[in-house]
Amino acid sequence: MKDLLRLRTSLSEEIELLLNEQIKTEAYSSAVYLAMASYCNRNGFDYSAGYLENQSNEERGHMLKIFKYINDLGGRAISPEVVNIPQEFESFKGVFELALQQEIKVTSQLNRIADQCMRLKDYTTFEFIQWFLKEQIEEEYVARRILELFDVIGEEGTGRWQIDKQIPKVSYGESAGEE
Amino acid sequence: MKDNNCIKIVEVFRTENGSVSQCNKTNSYILEFGGTTCSFKASDFIDFTKRVNSLDLVGMILSSSSVTDVTVLMPPYSERCFVLTLTDVLNLKELLGGAKFSLHLNSVIWECLRPHLYSI
Ligand SMILES: [Fe+2]
Ligand SMILES: [Fe+2]
Repeated sequence: MKDLLRLRTSLSEEIELLLNEQIKTEAYSSAVYLAMASYCNRNGFDYSAGYLENQSNEERGHMLKIFKYINDLGGRAISPEVVNIPQEFESFKGVFELALQQEIKVTSQLNRIADQCMRLKDYTTFEFIQWFLKEQIEEEYVARRILELFDVIGEEGTGRWQIDKQIPKVSYGESAGEE
Repeated sequence: MKDNNCIKIVEVFRTENGSVSQCNKTNSYILEFGGTTCSFKASDFIDFTKRVNSLDLVGMILSSSSVTDVTVLMPPYSERCFVLTLTDVLNLKELLGGAKFSLHLNSVIWECLRPHLYSI
């Protein structure tokens, strides 16, 4: 009997499902960063607001990358339903604590996908997902460095004003540990 | 395998309540159930199967409202619809589950045979 399933796509059902979940996670990240941008904006942290807006765009870019991959391989990419976006945050620092937590969650989810790819011998998706795993090194690094600013500069006096100014300047060097 | 491809309609799975066949000419699946027949593209068939599997059976059983005695399912791009009682849903699940197993088994067999079939 002709193999219609394989003619349709080289993606297995499990991997397609996992990738669609990842689309949802990236969309969620994008929406949360946008809510954070709004919080920072209304509290006078202009530089952070700009930085978080850019982050939001980046996450949407990640989402589209996976979306395109699924469709390119003949799968069915699903436009995600994104709900339960927090609009209020504990504090200026709380925003970035949550950001780091979200990035850590994304990393572990991507690791699970890589794991499943190995298990199912889907080396095409395994290769595709490498870009994201690499990206997460940068994402976690930047999120951690930003949090450290709160300790290094201190929040007292004009501290928060200075932290806000520094946040968009935090970047990840070519190799780990480099400035 | 080769001979089989010349046969246009191949039965994938059958229960006493219906059948799933595949048409090798149009690359589609044909579902015949409860007097309704419809054809699906591969990806729509999988999507339809997922929708059937996600039907809330417990909700149907527990609800006392007569509205939930039946579920209406529209196959994609089709004017037809399936009106399903609880028993129908169970029967349809059984049929689609069997078909899915059969189709995946077929994929696995092809995966094993492919290197031998097209070797130069
Ligand atoms: Fe991301
Ligand atoms: Fe991220």
